[in-house]
Amino acid sequence: MTTALRDFIKNPTAAELELVARYGMQPEDARRERAFLAFAETGLPHRRMEGWKWTDFKAALKALETPAAASAKDPLPDDGALVFRFTPKGFEAPAKLPDGIRMVVQPGVQAFPGAEDVPMGALAAALAGGGKRPATLAFEITSSEAPRLHFVFEGAGEASFARIVFLVRSGASLTLTESYLGGAGLTASVLEFDLERGAKLNRTIFQRGGAGEALAVTGIAHLGAEAEMTQTTLAFGAKVARMETRVVHQASGSKLNLNAAYLSGKGFHADITTNVRHGAPSCVTRQLTKGAVLDGGTGVFQGKFFVPRKTGQHTDADMQHQALLLEDGAQVFAKPELEIYADDVECAHGNTCGALDDAQMFYLRQRGIPETQARAMLTEAFIAEALGMADEAVRDVLLAEAQNWLSS
Amino acid sequence: MRPMLKITDLSATVGEDSEAKTILNGLSLDVPAGEVHAIMGPNGAGKSTLSYVLTGRSGYEVTGGSATLNGEDILGMDPEERAAKGMFLSFQYPVEIPGVPVMTFVRTAMNAQRKARGEAEISAPDFIKKSRDVAKMLNLDAEMLKRPVNVGFSGGEKKRLEIYQMMMLEPKFLILDETDSGLDIDALKTVADGVNAMRDPSRGMLVITHYQRLLDYIKPDKVHVLAKGRIIKTGEADLALRLEKEGYDGVLGEAA
Repeated sequence: MTTALRDFIKNPTAAELELVARYGMQPEDARRERAFLAFAETGLPHRRMEGWKWTDFKAALKALETPAAASAKDPLPDDGALVFRFTPKGFEAPAKLPDGIRMVVQPGVQAFPGAEDVPMGALAAALAGGGKRPATLAFEITSSEAPRLHFVFEGAGEASFARIVFLVRSGASLTLTESYLGGAGLTASVLEFDLERGAKLNRTIFQRGGAGEALAVTGIAHLGAEAEMTQTTLAFGAKVARMETRVVHQASGSKLNLNAAYLSGKGFHADITTNVRHGAPSCVTRQLTKGAVLDGGTGVFQGKFFVPRKTGQHTDADMQHQALLLEDGAQVFAKPELEIYADDVECAHGNTCGALDDAQMFYLRQRGIPETQARAMLTEAFIAEALGMADEAVRDVLLAEAQNWLSS
Repeated sequence: MRPMLKITDLSATVGEDSEAKTILNGLSLDVPAGEVHAIMGPNGAGKSTLSYVLTGRSGYEVTGGSATLNGEDILGMDPEERAAKGMFLSFQYPVEIPGVPVMTFVRTAMNAQRKARGEAEISAPDFIKKSRDVAKMLNLDAEMLKRPVNVGFSGGEKKRLEIYQMMMLEPKFLILDETDSGLDIDALKTVADGVNAMRDPSRGMLVITHYQRLLDYIKPDKVHVLAKGRIIKTGEADLALRLEKEGYDGVLGEAA
């Protein structure tokens, strides 16, 4: 058994061997195997892979270990929300859900098309489940007034995996918040969204992890006709943290707002990677990513719009990434990509990296605002724009968290 | 009487080491409390440099001389310390601060200054009342004060907002750098009214301007001519009129 498992990944690292062993302990399941094979093709993604050259999980994650730092406290409010909690060994859900939200805890693995494009998502799908944890947690949303669903990922342990699938029915809407609070050496989750005609999704991701942790959040969404998705991410990074989102506009008239802010301090790495495919005519994408990085911190932005020749006509898409290097020694890597084959489209992008404006700093200081406070004020105002579309139940909290980081 | 602002033999350069260029070259000037002094001079004379050196903008290096406010050396202080001591610069080109509403900005500045002076913060109701009074006097729309600082403001609105900040912060010493530029006559009157309302026996002002026009509305006690980094002539208010008539060349020729 061990020898056979060893063959899954070429020249496996200690961490990869442990992942293989974990896979070996899961019940046999053909779909699980396919997901794991998709991961095993490359093993933990690394710098020699296109798309991972700045975020190297293989190098960062030597072994699966419980980190020294405990989980962060969840800043997002849970009043009025239905709370679901994933820990390395456990899973909790409300005893009863209101009409309009149906939850199915599936012991088996659901098929995962496209797994080979997202190795960390494939890993999450392959290793989710075991014990009390569902292999696939599935939701069907049929109400347009369902309460917010709040997912918390926390607790000490070597690794934590989750796979959650949402089907938002025609005309229904889902407000979803996720808090990734660290505590596990490796956290990998994959969330899939299927939005039917006119369905709405507002998703907010808060991420704060320890400096010794690795984390990958993979989101995959398919938007039906006139569906609307708004996503807001606030990431503080970890040893390596990757927030990856792939969206397909698959019927005309769908709309996507894809916003993120990353704040990386010394020893932290935050990666925002997105891929949007305009697979249907007359769809709209608005993307704004803002970053602020300190000495010894790293930010990564990779954004791609793909607009096919026939199906992508009348696309209206805009991608903006703006980063502030707050100190010498801060690093930001950015790769905005527009791949456009359709000829009747409006697509724009902008990408800037720089320091705070001297003239603005002097203006604030001349009015009596001390340097550190002036810097925090300007940076906060800069970041805030990317958080403005988060659900109002959590928007102020996100801003306050960004503020705290900037003023400490 | 000891002057409020005393500048003695001040020299300053701008630019990096080998490319440093001397802009102020032995400038001396005294402004007593209660007086308004105008500084006039041709382009490139060092007028804006003087305002930046006095308020501590980076990029300028003081190479000699001194500047004191009420006897305290200000040249070694950070810009925010100078502000807390009462120095205020009305910018020639007010800076846009996206995402920071005017009220938030001014209240933060006011409380930061008060904190630096060991005073209590202003309460929200007191601040709002004061803001309302000042805005009314300057014909500023309350909605404008909720918008981000200077973003999308017209030239005249920006200058009026400078005066609003000045009246809110009640500084001890004001430097108005080309406050008249970009203003039509009505806006100029409003701005001048604001400045005149700030005239006080305990307050000094330095009005930097290109043209005599502003001085029709803000009557100076003294007029200084700045050229080649130094004050080359000082006179009463009528000197401004002579400059207007004879031009800088005429007056400079006479001085040289």
